[in-house]
Amino acid sequence: MPAIFSRSLDFYVRQLGVGLVVGVSLFSIGFYYYALPSYTRVGYTPEQPVPFSHQLHVGHLGMDCTYCHQAVFEGPHANVPASQTCMNCHNPKKANVKGTSPLLAPVRMSFETGSPVEWKRVHKLPEFAYFNHAVHVNKGVSCVSCHGQVNEMKVITHDQVLSMGWCLKCHNAPEKSLRPVSEVTNLTWARGKHEDDGTAIKKNLAVNPPMNCQSCHR
Amino acid sequence: MCRRLALVPTGPTAAPVGRPLNVIHEPEFMMTATHTADTHTSHGPKFPEPLPRIPLVWGPATYDSLSEQISEITEKGQPAWWWPAFLISASLLTGGIVAATYLISTGIGVWGSNNPVNWAFDITNFVFWIGIGHAGTLISAILFLFRQRWRTSINRFAEAMTIFAVICAGIYPGIHVGRFWYAWFMFPLPNANHIFQNFRSALLWDLFAVSTYFTISLIFWYIGLIPDLGTLRDRAKSRTRQLIFGFLSLGWRGSTRNWRHYEVAYLMLAGLSTPLVLSVHSVVSFDFATSLIPGWHTTIFPPYFVAGAIFGGFAMVLQCMIPARAVYKLDNVVTIKHIDVMCKFILATGTLVGYAYCMELFIAWFSGNPYEWQTFKDRAFTGDYVWAYWVMMTCNLFIPQVFWIRWCRQTPWFVLIVVTFVNVGMWYERFVIIVQSLHHDFLPGSWGQFYPSWVDWLQMIGDFGLFFTLTLLFIRCLPMIAIAEVKGVLPMANPHGHPVAEDKYLKGEDGQYPTEDHAMAAEYGAPAHASTEVKPSPTPVPAFIPTAGGNGTPWGAVAEFANGTLLLAAAKATVAAGYKHVDAWTPFYVHGMKEAIGRTRSRLPLFTLAGALTGLTAAVAMQFYLMAYYYPTIVGGKEYRSWEAFTPIFFEMTVLFAGFFTLFSLIGLCGLPRFFHPLDSHPTFNRSTQGGFFLTIEAKDAKFNPDTARAFMESLGGKHVAVVEA
Repeated sequence: MPAIFSRSLDFYVRQLGVGLVVGVSLFSIGFYYYALPSYTRVGYTPEQPVPFSHQLHVGHLGMDCTYCHQAVFEGPHANVPASQTCMNCHNPKKANVKGTSPLLAPVRMSFETGSPVEWKRVHKLPEFAYFNHAVHVNKGVSCVSCHGQVNEMKVITHDQVLSMGWCLKCHNAPEKSLRPVSEVTNLTWARGKHEDDGTAIKKNLAVNPPMNCQSCHR
Repeated sequence: MCRRLALVPTGPTAAPVGRPLNVIHEPEFMMTATHTADTHTSHGPKFPEPLPRIPLVWGPATYDSLSEQISEITEKGQPAWWWPAFLISASLLTGGIVAATYLISTGIGVWGSNNPVNWAFDITNFVFWIGIGHAGTLISAILFLFRQRWRTSINRFAEAMTIFAVICAGIYPGIHVGRFWYAWFMFPLPNANHIFQNFRSALLWDLFAVSTYFTISLIFWYIGLIPDLGTLRDRAKSRTRQLIFGFLSLGWRGSTRNWRHYEVAYLMLAGLSTPLVLSVHSVVSFDFATSLIPGWHTTIFPPYFVAGAIFGGFAMVLQCMIPARAVYKLDNVVTIKHIDVMCKFILATGTLVGYAYCMELFIAWFSGNPYEWQTFKDRAFTGDYVWAYWVMMTCNLFIPQVFWIRWCRQTPWFVLIVVTFVNVGMWYERFVIIVQSLHHDFLPGSWGQFYPSWVDWLQMIGDFGLFFTLTLLFIRCLPMIAIAEVKGVLPMANPHGHPVAEDKYLKGEDGQYPTEDHAMAAEYGAPAHASTEVKPSPTPVPAFIPTAGGNGTPWGAVAEFANGTLLLAAAKATVAAGYKHVDAWTPFYVHGMKEAIGRTRSRLPLFTLAGALTGLTAAVAMQFYLMAYYYPTIVGGKEYRSWEAFTPIFFEMTVLFAGFFTLFSLIGLCGLPRFFHPLDSHPTFNRSTQGGFFLTIEAKDAKFNPDTARAFMESLGGKHVAVVEA
């Protein structure tokens, strides 16, 4: 009876086995690198209709975050400012800072017609996650913790992971990220050497971040 | 005279003269009337001689006839009923697929499950199918450990049923979560949410138990199939069949060097499966027992569920086996005695289950717990589901009691009717436990009814369609009886056996058949004696056989022998002559052969142990790290590090890893897959997986010389002697 398979098959089958192990390992590693929010979301930098530079307004001119995002200490959302806010300075009929710049045309148009500038949303939490800005900033969590060094960004970029696991890191050990409430919008603030490490702030502000499901998934 | 019909060991008998001391004598177990008493005591009452043993395979079966009888089922066209049966099953399955698709695309609301009965047909069917599987593992593992060798005729079929039943069951946890595409949330995979499962939840234990059970059953089944796939490959006429079974059998040729690992691997898996099968349904019962619902919250659940699973499983084995046995004329292999014994199992476990029903009822009253008692009163006497309860009682407790009567156990069509009732009853048992308990719990305000929707029905019928489709395909494509194992229990397979004269076969000293069973078995004829002549080769065997792409040097010498006894003697003589690289190739493991070729016990159990320790370590590390440090979670008011509720997953992962290590070490130690072998060129070597017995001396042996080796093997009585090119 002649042999069913050729002599070299056994060698190829073993090679295939090794190849399979290597392939599956590479796929798993690749999957965990490319499919998680640390890759898919961090670094998202869409081009905006108006090239508004936070670096210029916050970093150089020293404007406070709350000048534009007024609602952040009071409401769940850190609102995107209305064109009205921009026009406080850029209105050609008043302060007239760059009042005729073509780059600002969409803002002027919006101010005149009342329809908002169509900013591209950068930071978006899933709808099943409840997040309240006010409670975070009022308990000493700085803007910089979630949005990065906005004062250095010419164009806003998605700086942090913003995944559930990322949230939980801070909820597990909040003191590392707490600072005096007065310094929340100070993006260049750094903890002094002899200053409290956040434990006292945590105690004073009664920071007790919830770890149960329903605090965010209501 | 105290004659008892029993399945009991007769115990190791005194070793016959001349047997090497290192050969452990396996106690023989057979289905027959035996005496449990010691027959060689010098004092006390004198007992009569034991009755002659009824062989496990009836009639004059030989290795070749068995290979042919069972392989032919997959080789020839199917009988006329097969296609209609398959089409019906497949269309039922299609209904199930439609139901599942509708459910997934629309939502879980298409089922009738709703407050307060949130688990209904889905979990009823899940538990029903998981239970069905248990008979397979009981037969393949527990009866193996107890050396009940009659299991060889039914274990393949039952194991296949286990796998198909677990597949049917596994559908439900997948689809009843509603969002099917999130089913991977059930597995502890690292994810961006940094959350893991609650390892103290009975539902997660269930996931680990069922997936481990499925994996180990599959490994066990496949390992058991390997020698038979080799038989199918070697019998195959068409190129396609040769390729398919050649791949699937991994190049198994029946080498004793492989058999010695194989036998130990099988034992290891049987040892792993035994606690596993008991754990699976216990864990399934924890899904209910660890909750607080009256009717669920009882400690009797684990043993009660396990007994019920074996009960229902045996019923399903008989349900499928009796028709298959009749259609394919397997009554000499799956004898009336097999059906008889399985009916006894059904009787025993059915009575256990009945005891549990009564005990539940009694405890509900005796505990003085008003919620428990009102639930059971509602269940058995006053409620909306009283009919279901009494269907269950009738089918599971009362009807199987007919198996006390011998006629009822030994009449296949009657058994078929009874086991149908048992299957119905076992479905109702789960329905009663789940639906009745939920519809009537603590608050009258939350009492409610369950109405199944058409999707529920279609899904359930579809599951039966899936099961029977798979079973029919299995019958069509794979050997439904473990050929190699059955060969090993033939009387002629015992190399130390002494055949009985035909006219005294199964008769007592008085020349009469001692029991009706003896007479029934004798009707099939006396067992064949082992052949003393080698089957002639279809083509003349040359002295030197070239191989495709060979390098001109010899691989070794090969000789064929007529039976295992001759081969055993020849192997011993070869080793005694100073050859070291000797191997024997046999269709089943011939007792004593590994010692005869100069090998010892396999070291495979060390790998199994390594796997078990790896699994245990992984389970300990995973659960403590995740539950106490990574995302500290309090469950049931216990401290983070309380370990008790981690135990089920400790166990399951230990078994899972041990099973994988056993499989891979078996493949590795046997050097499989080995698709090409020089011996394949020998014209009769393909009989090594059917009825041929071969001895080889390899060229790497220092003493090897092609001419002297050939002459030596011829002097031993070997036929078809040849030297094969490497």
